[in-house]
Amino acid sequence: MFDLVLGYLIIGLVNGSFYALLSLGLALIFGLLNVLNMTHGALYMMGAFAAWAAVEKLGFGYLPAIGLASVGVGAAGIVIERCLLRHTYKLDPLYGFMLTFGLTTAIQGVFQVQFGSTGLPFAPPAWLAGGVDLGFMFFPTYRLWVVVVALAICLGLWLVIERTSAGATLRAASENAGIAEALGVRVPKVLTATFGIGAALAGLAGALAAPVYQVSPLMGSDILLVVFAIIVVGGMGSIGGTILASYCLAIIEALIQAFYPQAANIVIFAFMCVVLMVRPQGLFGISVVRRHEFRAARLPATREAGIAAMPVLTPVVVGAAIVAALALLPLFVYPIYLVKIFCFAIFAVSFNFLLGFAGIVSFGQAALFGTAAYITAQALKVWALPVELAMLAGIAAAIALGLIMGAFAIRRRGIYQAMITLAVAQMVYFAYVQAAFTHGEDGIHSVPRGILFGLIDLRDDRAVYALAAVALLAVFLGLRGLLSSRLGLLLVAIRDDERRALSLGHNVNALKVAAFAIASACAGLAGTLSAVAFQLATLSGAHWHLSGEAVLMALIGGIGTLTGPLVGAVVLVTMQQFLVPFGAWVLVIQGVVFALSVLLFRDGLVAWIGPALKRTRSWPTFRPSAAIQSGTRP
Amino acid sequence: MRSVPASRLARNELAGGDAEPLLRVTGLTVRFGDFVALRDVSLDLYGRGIHAVIGPNGAGKSTLFNAISGFAKPEHGNVHFGNADVTGERADRLARLGLARSFQMCATFPDLSVADNVRTALLRDVTGIGLLRRRGGEKLDPAIEGLLEETGLSSERYRRAADLSYGRRRLLEIVTTLALRPKLLLLDEPMAGLAREDIPAVTRLIDKAAEDCAVLFVEHNLPVVERLAKRVTVLAGGSVLCEGSYREVASDPRVREAYIGDVGDV
Ligand SMILES: Nc1ncnc2c1ncn2[C@@H]1O[C@H](COP(=O)(O)OP(=O)(O)OP(=O)(O)O)[C@@H](O)[C@H]1O
Ligand SMILES: [Mg+2]
Repeated sequence: MFDLVLGYLIIGLVNGSFYALLSLGLALIFGLLNVLNMTHGALYMMGAFAAWAAVEKLGFGYLPAIGLASVGVGAAGIVIERCLLRHTYKLDPLYGFMLTFGLTTAIQGVFQVQFGSTGLPFAPPAWLAGGVDLGFMFFPTYRLWVVVVALAICLGLWLVIERTSAGATLRAASENAGIAEALGVRVPKVLTATFGIGAALAGLAGALAAPVYQVSPLMGSDILLVVFAIIVVGGMGSIGGTILASYCLAIIEALIQAFYPQAANIVIFAFMCVVLMVRPQGLFGISVVRRHEFRAARLPATREAGIAAMPVLTPVVVGAAIVAALALLPLFVYPIYLVKIFCFAIFAVSFNFLLGFAGIVSFGQAALFGTAAYITAQALKVWALPVELAMLAGIAAAIALGLIMGAFAIRRRGIYQAMITLAVAQMVYFAYVQAAFTHGEDGIHSVPRGILFGLIDLRDDRAVYALAAVALLAVFLGLRGLLSSRLGLLLVAIRDDERRALSLGHNVNALKVAAFAIASACAGLAGTLSAVAFQLATLSGAHWHLSGEAVLMALIGGIGTLTGPLVGAVVLVTMQQFLVPFGAWVLVIQGVVFALSVLLFRDGLVAWIGPALKRTRSWPTFRPSAAIQSGTRP
Repeated sequence: MRSVPASRLARNELAGGDAEPLLRVTGLTVRFGDFVALRDVSLDLYGRGIHAVIGPNGAGKSTLFNAISGFAKPEHGNVHFGNADVTGERADRLARLGLARSFQMCATFPDLSVADNVRTALLRDVTGIGLLRRRGGEKLDPAIEGLLEETGLSSERYRRAADLSYGRRRLLEIVTTLALRPKLLLLDEPMAGLAREDIPAVTRLIDKAAEDCAVLFVEHNLPVVERLAKRVTVLAGGSVLCEGSYREVASDPRVREAYIGDVGDV
């Protein structure tokens, strides 16, 4: 028993080493660049591939190979920082996050095209093979080596940052870039160097991990979210705290693995939730309002309620035109394809509404979508509920989960909120991976569609289309009503200045949770529709890549606009459809589009189309919101 | 309300006398990590009139406001407001109780129109289903319309707050705060960053506000303090240095000392 515990402790140390190397780099980059670097997982994966290629393809020795991997990945990081990331520094930090999100998709896509998704084996060198007899147990030498190297590097870096003048420069730049600049620090160089170092650390971690795990394009995708959770727990207040949190959490994770393996995947995320409740600034964080938490998530594209971006015809004409268009569309376009667009549009609304109108960043919307899809599918197939009840159950489940997610998410703001929602969603994802009813990788298939209200036979695709169209209309009308309601007013106020809203007597947290519930209902509606329309519910419906697609759609259409998500959904679904022949390249292209949208079309297509329509229109506006836009000087 | 006898006013404001204070701060201490930003600060404030807090930069004035208004947790000490102990109470609850504040960096909602900015204050008691109703009509209630009229904001009611000049935004912030109908108004450096020509308008607004509620304000602009404040508390290094009328305080040698190297002359 004792041996077993000790054995798992050492496994914890090994995992902790990878976590520490990754979180150290992430925390450094976050501290100085104010960028939450989503490419960190991809850089880790590149490190593993680089080491593998250096040994297997180029015939290098093991040590030169890890050296090469670190330096190579560091150089790649510098290229990313110099050419791309640099352009987001003046913007809201969310854009940097989204840019790296897109890059990650693209990088992973390239590796998937090249190497497929199966792992490549990579043997440790002969001199690290075998094991050490520790007396009570036999321990693989290679893992011991990993721990020693990682600890040495962490300690070294900690000393450099805390004790040397170069470290002092770094700290100064992270405290206040403006003052550091005035004191003669060349901040841009420091930023590039920091990103390079962070990337090199990730590359090193990947190279070290290559013999422990298999080398595969997706190896960095899941570990990244764990590292986010660790950073939230550690609080980023201190380098030492981050390292400590990495090792402690890895050890806890390993111990849980020993005694209750089902929970091992989620324990770090669960720990994060507890810490958020008890000490929101993180265990070693200094205070809740840190410099990095921008005061309010204000994105340039957020227009007053988004309504003014639409040409204002008389409501009757517009309404009739929309209904007619919806009725005629399926004559020209395959209905299920339209249903997919509508589903995605509603899903994108849930992200866009939160960010654009309430200033809440949720990158975990897929968990809500997936939950609704699973529950609806289960209700239809196993519980044999009528379809309307099954859909209601799905939506209710999404709202319930959304309330929980919201309760955690609103404890922090901005980039932290993005990390928290990602982490909570990942926890949900792992729960579904393990739950029996989801059938793991297979998902729930052949879900019967049933008969709506005992009248409408949904086995007809056109009936499903009508259902989706009604849902879409309801969502857009509801949202429009909401934005001109008092709640809408208060949400925009909170987005603009949370402190001020609080000082005016508003229960900001309750209002934010309400916003979260509304968004969850949208995500749930999208999920439940997808389960009915496509007759299946799978893990990919709950994976964070799907959350990324919601972000992408909102970004393409225009964050903070009412119609943006629909435009984004049309673009994304059509793009995916046309790219089917290109197979795995879809991800690469999607990632590149994502990155380019951040760099070039931040305001989205609606912002382009809207003003163009407005300019050609001569009818008068009648909404006060429109008057605000064109207010006259006295 | 406005016909309170001058004698009573004076007694309430200056001596405290037998009346209960509206705000009573006792032994307030606030700490950030190892740094003590506020040390054992006590302060009494009565029903009406204007009270100023002055002190060099970093003296802890904003921290005092934050601790009173629920934006900073005091380590020790108490805040009594009205008849209740409100120490550590949430900021939004305090606002609903009638303790309203403005911020040193002018805080308005930039994406909302002037009218909607004011409206946010009027919605403070609306909860539940009431929130789903449409935004109110065009007219706000008469008293607030009057304030908008007086400050000249009325003609700009549909403009986004972001498009107003800084001085106008400051007026809007104070009008919005007054729309809460507070019993106590905390203003953190209302003149900071204002152009010289904007100062009289803000001064007038504060003076007018003081007819209906108590005002506690922080200010570096000493002529304004002299003109408005009946009573002045001087804060330095996190503790109260002295308290008295402007004249008394200005002639206190300790105050001069605290300000040396900061403002120069008092
Ligand atoms: N959240 C915080 N964390 C750490 N220190 C803080 C925090 N808020 C304030 N301080 C420190 O507390 C001290 C008092 O700050 P405060 O803002 O109350 O000063 P002030 O009197 O309002 O100054 P000013 O006239 O410049 O506005 C300062 O030294 C400040 O650096
Ligand atoms: Mg201050």
